[in-house]
Amino acid sequence: MILTALIYKDIKQLLRDPKTLVMVLLMPVIVLVMFVAGYGGPGGSIPISVANLDGGSISWQLISELKRASAMGLGSFEIVKTAYTFEEAYESVRKGEVYAAIIIPKGFTEEVFLGEETQVGIILDTSYADISEGVYRLLVLTMQGFQQKVTEKYGGFTFNIYRVTIYGPEVSKIDAFLGVVMSVLLHLVPMSLIAVSISRERERRTFEQLIMTPISSYDIIMGKLLAYMIVTMADTFLTLGLAVYVFKVRVVGSFLDLTIVSFLILICSLSMGLLISVLSKNQLQAYQMAIFAFIPSMLFSGFLVPAELLSPKVKIVSKLLPLYYFLKTFRNIQIRGWTLYDNLFDILMLIGETIVFLLTAIKLLKLRVE
Amino acid sequence: MSSEYAVEIVNLTKVFGKFKAVNNLSLKIRKGEIFGLLGPNGAGKTTTIRMVLGLIKPTKGYVRVFGIPVEKERKKVLKITGYMPQRFSLYEDLTVEENLMLYALLYGYNGREAKERVKELLEELLLKEFKDRLAGNLSGGMKQRLALAVALVHRPKLVIVDEPTAGVDPPLRRYFWKYFKELNKRGVTIIVTTHYMDEAENCDRLALIFRGRKIAEGTPLEIKRLAFGGDIVEILLETPSPPKLEGIGGVKKILESERYNRTITLRVLVDDASSRLISIVKRLESNGVRVIRASQVYIGLEDAFIKLVEGQAK
Repeated sequence: MILTALIYKDIKQLLRDPKTLVMVLLMPVIVLVMFVAGYGGPGGSIPISVANLDGGSISWQLISELKRASAMGLGSFEIVKTAYTFEEAYESVRKGEVYAAIIIPKGFTEEVFLGEETQVGIILDTSYADISEGVYRLLVLTMQGFQQKVTEKYGGFTFNIYRVTIYGPEVSKIDAFLGVVMSVLLHLVPMSLIAVSISRERERRTFEQLIMTPISSYDIIMGKLLAYMIVTMADTFLTLGLAVYVFKVRVVGSFLDLTIVSFLILICSLSMGLLISVLSKNQLQAYQMAIFAFIPSMLFSGFLVPAELLSPKVKIVSKLLPLYYFLKTFRNIQIRGWTLYDNLFDILMLIGETIVFLLTAIKLLKLRVE
Repeated sequence: MSSEYAVEIVNLTKVFGKFKAVNNLSLKIRKGEIFGLLGPNGAGKTTTIRMVLGLIKPTKGYVRVFGIPVEKERKKVLKITGYMPQRFSLYEDLTVEENLMLYALLYGYNGREAKERVKELLEELLLKEFKDRLAGNLSGGMKQRLALAVALVHRPKLVIVDEPTAGVDPPLRRYFWKYFKELNKRGVTIIVTTHYMDEAENCDRLALIFRGRKIAEGTPLEIKRLAFGGDIVEILLETPSPPKLEGIGGVKKILESERYNRTITLRVLVDDASSRLISIVKRLESNGVRVIRASQVYIGLEDAFIKLVEGQAK
């Protein structure tokens, strides 16, 4: 009887907070749906470029073979750019327009006809190990298939593939993982920390006395933002410093730029947390909402898998996530050695989202106790 | 923007779902008075107060504080109004002094002024020796004093205290009322809610609230007279037969008559005991009735309240 009474009481209590209950119960379903949407269907294709320095018939056959291979779903790459010189192809990879470039050398057609040795180059961006290895394998496979076909028609020739890497030679696990660690540290942690801040004031009733003073919702939101920013900022610098100077994680770009972008996502996470705080009625709800808000970021921002590999539909979601812009910029600076200016668009998006979160929070915070 | 009233409450209504917490309530609280909102728990006192302070939005009606509309110009109202909520609402993880400093600064004092004001309040409310204690570690009475200090930090013209004496021991209750009277002397208008009827006698004027409605308003004396239709006088007589009282000036009704041997105890309703008692005794004595004792019966507000509520129920 005692046990039933307790069970009954707890179930009742759970049902009395439907918002939290729905979040808890729907979470697995929504995660699964999001996961399937992002990873289940055909993934996005990786953009590559081709520089045809030869221009002969065989070179065009190779290009159409590459096109067919990607169209048949053999590979998930897509030729999005045609370059006319080696340098141009190299630049397109370096700038991040494409992840790989194929260089068909001058005299390619002739060499094949004569059965000589030919050198086809693949320029690879190795800053994302997952992508570069995948696309490299696919390209080599396609070209080997092509070699067989051509050999049947025109007789044998030697087909050499050489590889040029940018941002390489290769990125170690710890180097690649710094961005992910910083994401948890600068997104989830501050967001959930500040998310309970206003609901805690409501729960402890200190809110009622606080809003009896002539302050505005702007004061409350900015006060909380700055207080939490000061406290969590130290943590940011400490972690970055530790990673770079003690554990010697590789940073190609400037440490200052890295710090600035870390700082920007920190403010953005706090703003997002404040919005959650304004929307939630109690602390439990706020925590749930913060975790809930982190799920899409984890799945679609490039946190687990580069966002480029996601299905095109889900990429729209990616582009709404502040973490997507952060991870992109952070990796570009850390691994590719880019500057903040090279990532201007992403940084503006990050700042823009921060402003939207803050303004919405200020607008929605009602100085009432209802 | 000046007004003769400190607070004007006009047709105020608040509905929560299907429940009418406050039902078409109108009140006028004069400047410089101690006004009591009296009623049982759940009568709608706190809801009314929260609407006066703009903490919740009225479903209908409006409130003006010193002529300033609360809904439109809440900030102006807050600058002249102090509020002590029913339950402790300060930061338990800050010390007494830190809480006070915070509020002094939020009300716009600069650092030096704030320090001075806090020092003053610590002394005035006997909190000086506890100033470094965390608010969470204070006893109930000390918490109440701190809450009152915060309500007074910006020297408000109007102070609203919600159940300041609930769960407070008698010496502190007395202290609070003494303090309120003192504040009132300095020109501060005070609105106090309570469900302790005996305390309400301290108020200049009262409103009785019951189920969200005002069932009476006036001075404690007026309310009692309203409840019973006048004052009650008890007269002990020595007489063989009940005397005639009807027709004597001021006598409205004989409520009770009790015979014990040769004495009769009468409870008589009169319009005004203080002016009529002597003339009634004189008339009885001139009719040859010996009056042993005659006095006004003290009516508590509680009796008046119960009587008025019964009247409402009918």
